[in-house]
Amino acid sequence: MLSKKAKTDVEILQEKLQKIKDQEGIIGYILRGSESASIDLKDTKKIVEYAILSSTAFDAGSNMTETLQMGEVDTIVVESEETKILSMNINNHRLSIFMEKSVDHNRICRSLK
Amino acid sequence: MNIDTYAVTLNNALNEIKKAYPEIKKSFIFTKEGSIVTGDQETDEKTMKKILESFENLKEKTKTIGNLTGFYITGKNGKLMLSNIKDMYLVLATSENADKLHIYSITQVIIPTLLKTLDTIAPSIQLTPPKKLVVDTPSGLFADDSVQIDTEILRECNNGELTENTGPPVHVKAALTADQNSQESIDHVQIETFGGNSTLCNVKEVNDQKLKGKNMIRIPEKLCKTLKISEGDLVKVKPDL
Repeated sequence: MLSKKAKTDVEILQEKLQKIKDQEGIIGYILRGSESASIDLKDTKKIVEYAILSSTAFDAGSNMTETLQMGEVDTIVVESEETKILSMNINNHRLSIFMEKSVDHNRICRSLK
Repeated sequence: MNIDTYAVTLNNALNEIKKAYPEIKKSFIFTKEGSIVTGDQETDEKTMKKILESFENLKEKTKTIGNLTGFYITGKNGKLMLSNIKDMYLVLATSENADKLHIYSITQVIIPTLLKTLDTIAPSIQLTPPKKLVVDTPSGLFADDSVQIDTEILRECNNGELTENTGPPVHVKAALTADQNSQESIDHVQIETFGGNSTLCNVKEVNDQKLKGKNMIRIPEKLCKTLKISEGDLVKVKPDL
């Protein structure tokens, strides 16, 4: 029963991600669970690099919050000159959304919660 | 302006900011090359090094999307903001309800203005990490407690330190360089191990031809024991000017 509920939650999340993906400035996303992952990126050549970056962002976030005793990570934002990544844990899944820097990541964050 | 003055100025600023904005829990500044410049009085070096280590790894992987300009974490009990300001990174750890305007004024106004002012006073300031050298321990009798480094390596160490390009050139010790016009000398170096031990000791030019031109430092066995290092280990070396 519990696993069925979890699956439903993930399905709802994926529906939301499909809508987000079509928004202007969104490059794509990586959603990783313990057994599966869904990746939707405009530039498929960069899948591996983006997956490594997503994983590293989660690790860095976890290490830093542990060092500073900030408690569990809620959201992580990594910014470069033109691109940014919003990473968060949802339903035991690690989600990273890649977007152009001009996109309001707070709005996306709110729509996912 | 030397490295200490530069760091002290920024340290004072961070401490004053912390007093003015109690929601700032920890703050420190490091260079884009990964050298810690200073931190507020409540942020210990171990914490800064741990954050820096995680950041350096992330910075490397971020090259996929360009140069890392910011890293922000919202945790259950606080926030972490890591912002790129000129050639530096400012780290601010705040409470979860930190005022956005306060943070904005610190990251976008106060620290950038201060760095700009320091840059105006002492242009072309460059902070680079200390030179990393491989330890060699001499066999047989070692006459004194001095460490030995190749002159060229020592000169590179010296050039990597905070210097004012507009001021008089800093030379390594005349005895090492045969430069009679040397205005400043290096007769001591600070050695720091990756285990966190450090010491200040005398330095001489390496007398073994095999070690010349190599990134090696010859350290007496007794000093190796004190620093808890052995042959082949890496140590960080910077001149004590």
